[in-house]
Amino acid sequence: MIQAIRRRTNIYGAMAGIVPKTFLAYSLWVWVSLFLNTITMTILVFFWKAVYADTGTIAGLDLQTTLTYILLAQIFLPLGDLSMIFEFGYSLREGGIAHALLRPVDFQGGFYVQYMTQTLTSLFLQIPMALVAWLVFGLRFPTDLQLWAVFILSAILGRTILFFFDWMLACLTFYTTEVWGLGVLVYGASLFFSGSLVPLAMLPGWLQTFALATPFAQALYVPLSLLTGITPLSQAPMVLLIQVILLITLGVLSRLFFRVAVRKVTVQGG
Amino acid sequence: MARYLDLYGLFLVQRFKILMEYRVNFLIGASSTIILQVSSLLTIWVVMSQIPSLNGWSYYEVLLIYGLITLAKSINHMFADNLWTIGRQYIRTGSFDRFLVRPINPLFHLLADRFCHDGIGNFLVGSVLVITATRQLNIPWSLNNVLYLVLMVLSGGLIFIALNLITGTTAFWIMDAVPIMRVVFDFHLFAQYPLSIYPRAVGILLTWLIPYGLASFYPASYLTDRSLGWVAWGAPFVAIILLILAYQVWKFGLKYYAGTGS
Repeated sequence: MIQAIRRRTNIYGAMAGIVPKTFLAYSLWVWVSLFLNTITMTILVFFWKAVYADTGTIAGLDLQTTLTYILLAQIFLPLGDLSMIFEFGYSLREGGIAHALLRPVDFQGGFYVQYMTQTLTSLFLQIPMALVAWLVFGLRFPTDLQLWAVFILSAILGRTILFFFDWMLACLTFYTTEVWGLGVLVYGASLFFSGSLVPLAMLPGWLQTFALATPFAQALYVPLSLLTGITPLSQAPMVLLIQVILLITLGVLSRLFFRVAVRKVTVQGG
Repeated sequence: MARYLDLYGLFLVQRFKILMEYRVNFLIGASSTIILQVSSLLTIWVVMSQIPSLNGWSYYEVLLIYGLITLAKSINHMFADNLWTIGRQYIRTGSFDRFLVRPINPLFHLLADRFCHDGIGNFLVGSVLVITATRQLNIPWSLNNVLYLVLMVLSGGLIFIALNLITGTTAFWIMDAVPIMRVVFDFHLFAQYPLSIYPRAVGILLTWLIPYGLASFYPASYLTDRSLGWVAWGAPFVAIILLILAYQVWKFGLKYYAGTGS
């Protein structure tokens, strides 16, 4: 039993270890991404300052809360990243999926470990962004440790929910063979519904209800709204319970979805 | 010139034959950029519905700016998207060699090689935004205004192409030019909103150095009767100068091409 666990941990550990190496192999991209994110941050800060020039609050949020939220959203953006569509698409094209399916490791488990490691690595690489936000844009980080603890828990749950959803969308590539368009389509939806551009509290009621139900919001907006105080800490147990229910539901659905879709796999090359 | 137009037509027909082999993929690709734009537009709608103006610009005026930059970008996206792939697809693989042995201009061949259908979505979104905004703002569709709009959008598109050509040419030295291209290209995001909301330095940068502002903010200012003088007509002149400069940079870079594969 212990040996089996140790063996499995070694395998998943090796799979996780590959991820930071792939990031470091493209160091130029890391710096360029930092620059591009700074541009986005600059635009958002001045946009929101102009928005609040003639008004005190919007949907109960003042400029300081909105800026704190927007800057934190940019720093924690990797929580809402999607990658499975391109992972599946390219491994279909290059034939890598055939090898991956033959490995004596749980297929989804392997991807999950890499997904989470990728998130951690990306978040680590966002530290310079956090410094820019702090030094240039005056971001004030929340200091309450309880808020951070709830945020971390909610972020792990939300990221896992998004993984299962991303996984189901990626299974569509087994049918369509299309990758780029589908990827852009989902990225476009995630951009808005994750709350990376605008706090979802500002949305009209019907749109807010819909947005909050999406896995995109669960991964980014929900944890960040707890951290920034947009959602009071007293509501945290209910928020976390909803996340657990969503996680279990999507987890089961993603396994079923894959079991059906994998029959359609047609390797294009490799 | 006529020969090149004929040739472009032939390239385009072939490209559409390929795209039509996978009709669903074509539709997803063409509509994907619409979804991407809808996300940004929803943000503008959500925010602008709760405030009277953005630094003196009304909702429809902001949409006009956004629509103009989207239209200009769509021209680059449809007709010059291959510049993004020159390093990865052509130089690294050595397939750029085939452009050099054929009796047509290699740059023309590179651009004509792939019409990017993803840009159609941007073109549609930009058109709808400009038409809707001008109607709501009671900007008359006079011959003068229509010609001005067409000239500004085309010039804006050429500014995008010229800047991408300059940065894309670095692929002859560094192989993968995409990071360099992105650094310059992403400055166009500033020009989606009124330049007056940013510090003065950003306005100067977006007007004189990386002049995406000439494709959106200045034409929109002109159409909404904000007097800006001759700068409102600056886009065509800047586009021509940038294109000449970009082509010289391209020819210089071409001398340094060395195939890396076969």
